[in-house]
Amino acid sequence: MAETTNGGATSPESVFALRCQELKKSFQGVMAVTGATFDVPQGMITALIGPNGAGKTTVVNILSGMMKSDSGHMQIGSTDVTNWESFKIARLGLMRTFQLSRELGGLTVLENLLVAPQHQSGESLLNIFFRPVLVKREERENTERALEILNTYGLYDLRDTRARELSGGQKKLLEIARGVMASPKILLLDEPMAGVNPALIDRIGGYILDLKAQGMTILMVEHNLNVVEKICDHVIVLAEGRTLATGRLSELRANQDVVQAYLGEVINASPTR
Amino acid sequence: MSAMWYYVFTLVFFLFDYFILAMGLNIQYGETGILNFAYIGFVAVGAYVTGATSLPNAAGTGQQYILGWGLPFPLNLLLGGLAACLLAVFVALIALRRLRTDYLAVVLISVSLVLYDVINNYVPLFNGADGLYNVPEPFASVLKLTTNSFVPFFAALTGVVALLMWWVMSRITKSPLGRTLRAIRDDDGVAATLGKGVFRYQLTSMLIGSFYAGVGGGLIIQFGGSFNPTAWLPAETFVVFAVILVGGVGNNVGLLVGALLVETLLIHLPAFLPDIPGHPGLIEYIDTIVVGVLLMVMLWFRPQGVVPERVRRSPFSLATRSSKTLDDRAIIVPTNDGESTPVIQQETANG
Amino acid sequence: MTLFWLSVGFGFVTASVLAISAVGLSLQFGITNYINFAYGDFMALGAYFTYILNAEYLHLNIWVAVLGGSLMMGILAVLLNQFLLSPFARRFSKTFYVMIVTFGLSLIILNTIYSFWGPNVRTYVMPLEHVVHIGPFLLTRDQIIVMFVAVALMIGIHLMLKTSRLGKSMRAMSDNTTLAMTSGIDTRRITTITWFLSGTMAGIAGSVLGITEGNLTPAAGELFLFVIFAAVIVGGVGSIYGAMAGALLIGLATEISAAFINPAWKLDVAFVILIFALLFRPSGLFARPGKG
Repeated sequence: MAETTNGGATSPESVFALRCQELKKSFQGVMAVTGATFDVPQGMITALIGPNGAGKTTVVNILSGMMKSDSGHMQIGSTDVTNWESFKIARLGLMRTFQLSRELGGLTVLENLLVAPQHQSGESLLNIFFRPVLVKREERENTERALEILNTYGLYDLRDTRARELSGGQKKLLEIARGVMASPKILLLDEPMAGVNPALIDRIGGYILDLKAQGMTILMVEHNLNVVEKICDHVIVLAEGRTLATGRLSELRANQDVVQAYLGEVINASPTR
Repeated sequence: MSAMWYYVFTLVFFLFDYFILAMGLNIQYGETGILNFAYIGFVAVGAYVTGATSLPNAAGTGQQYILGWGLPFPLNLLLGGLAACLLAVFVALIALRRLRTDYLAVVLISVSLVLYDVINNYVPLFNGADGLYNVPEPFASVLKLTTNSFVPFFAALTGVVALLMWWVMSRITKSPLGRTLRAIRDDDGVAATLGKGVFRYQLTSMLIGSFYAGVGGGLIIQFGGSFNPTAWLPAETFVVFAVILVGGVGNNVGLLVGALLVETLLIHLPAFLPDIPGHPGLIEYIDTIVVGVLLMVMLWFRPQGVVPERVRRSPFSLATRSSKTLDDRAIIVPTNDGESTPVIQQETANG
Repeated sequence: MTLFWLSVGFGFVTASVLAISAVGLSLQFGITNYINFAYGDFMALGAYFTYILNAEYLHLNIWVAVLGGSLMMGILAVLLNQFLLSPFARRFSKTFYVMIVTFGLSLIILNTIYSFWGPNVRTYVMPLEHVVHIGPFLLTRDQIIVMFVAVALMIGIHLMLKTSRLGKSMRAMSDNTTLAMTSGIDTRRITTITWFLSGTMAGIAGSVLGITEGNLTPAAGELFLFVIFAAVIVGGVGSIYGAMAGALLIGLATEISAAFINPAWKLDVAFVILIFALLFRPSGLFARPGKG
């Protein structure tokens, strides 16, 4: 199943799935992002790392259209999507998860997935009444696929449970499964392994490698360098709101700036969690 | 027919009518999360337009109103519903797109107050404070109905309309559209990151709900033959909210129960009690206080309502379910934090 | 031109009543972050408390009665918060529930007033009015006192917010409740004081409205509530100074327009201003970051 290519990745190709240039954002005069410039290579797993307050989540929020940048550009494939609304960015094939899970609490686990497919015919009032056969067929196909995904992610037995009743780890899984259900080209994962137990960390790591094997591009914010070392092909270091360095983790370990700004602190402080 | 039956069928009418009104507000608030505090304004617009389209030309009636087309039963009701939709488009474009929820609530309640003020003061529109009266009773002349037989007839007709609208509404709430609306209710930000154009769906929900409000209002004016501003003080919106909160938000059966408990038993039944001598209106005042107190008690002890929202179960299960579902990726890691979670060892899944 | 200046004078009177009520509403909204739909009924109840003291039992001078009635309303507001609103606000994270509760509270208060005093118009016992010329304005002595009271209250609120420890805590809490709590501010005490101030100001505004209008009815507060909302929204929800500016703008606009068009349309003038504000400055003239 999973091709566990533990860290043995090639250097990033010139093909990028997502590119941002000089993104800037301030909140009430405080600069949160001062110049994020990087490419996310196609079909790879890229880690976005940096010390607390480096602006990682703000960058993810800008990339997913939930916040507008003050200046700078961003591009998905060849389309300029600077300051597009989030639902339009999502329709281009970019899905995200949240650091603090934002499950659709009143919906069941299955329904959380069924919301995700784009352009469902049953979302139009006219189709519901005038093309019921089409709606029903599409709904059946989606339900089958959703159940398969839940099966893969070990959530099948919870399919009829309201999402708000899940445990923290299950909510993390649900968010990834929901993103996958939308068949995205790019998946942004905001700390998918924060606050989950070590067994689940490895499990989620396995899922992410599987998604890469299926051709998905992944950008994940991650603190745990062991995880980054194991599964990520490419690393972007953000510090004080700007891109400090990019490359493979092994290269970055040799970079004095990076070590000073971030890695040193983590390596010296040492405990993984 | 005895007076008692007349009362009973009046109650039946209000039961069905408030069921319709509750379904309309429920899709807006219960399914989509829009706090439409102007709801009664939409009901009123439906009532006035239904009335004014079924009345003959205003000249010679002693009233002043626009339209006056003399239209027959389902047509005037339809126009009433559509007029309420028109108001919804206006409100949605100005307010819905720009404002967060509690802010929106203030603006919407202001909308209903101003609507009230305009209709009350601008007589040529719908006869001002006197309101419309002598609105034709549908089918009364065709079926040769008397004042007494009209009441049960129209209560039954309203029942048929309510059933039809129930069927339509459950089709909508069961559909993918209903699911997307509930996703927006739970977290509109997440819905947007899943590619849902939130405003478009909110507008759809506003339109559907407003149509129900308009039709419910249209039925009221045809049942009583008259409608004036005292019938829709902005506080009336609270009654419809009480119906859906007591009955159960997000559950159509709950709405019917809510309409029965709040509207029929609490609001209309006491209206038939005789006045306490020397204290005109006191019963009505006390009754309203009771409704307010009961709603608070209900919210505190049973916030999900009498009939809570159902869990929508999966329609079928997976035929080829792999046996290794739940724990096949669990790698043998002893949990350090002392929790003795059983970990299943599966050689095959380990990379 | 005389008509214009006359209406400007009335505009200042209306703006005074509006300013007192709008600031009272904004203070509470800033701290608790939900809208009190019963505020108009707080005003009416305060006005009837004043009526009890002035016309029914103690026969106090009207301004002494206003003071007493308003303080009674302030105490009642604290009790209502303590035993009704605050438990709901703590239990439900969605503000909808507590908003619905204030909506219900509005019905309960209104109908309680109806039960005790009936729907008939009441009037305060006041000495005969004599009209005073001040520059181009033509005002009664009581209207001048109303304006004086409003200005004094605004200055008082301003000084409290800017200089006292209480005011600083209130501003901190209004910006960020959690942060205020972690930095050692007793948020429950501040909330209680805020409800007292809000209730008292509602009482003053309701009584003063009864005085300037020349009568009081149970629904007067509810009808006036919309004008308050318009002032608060135009100024920026939750901003005290915005509420003051909004009150001045709406007060002057409604009264000046009433001199030239049918006075029945006063409300609609306020609404038109509100619509324009929403279209062009949706978060209000004085919106603060994080609110609105």
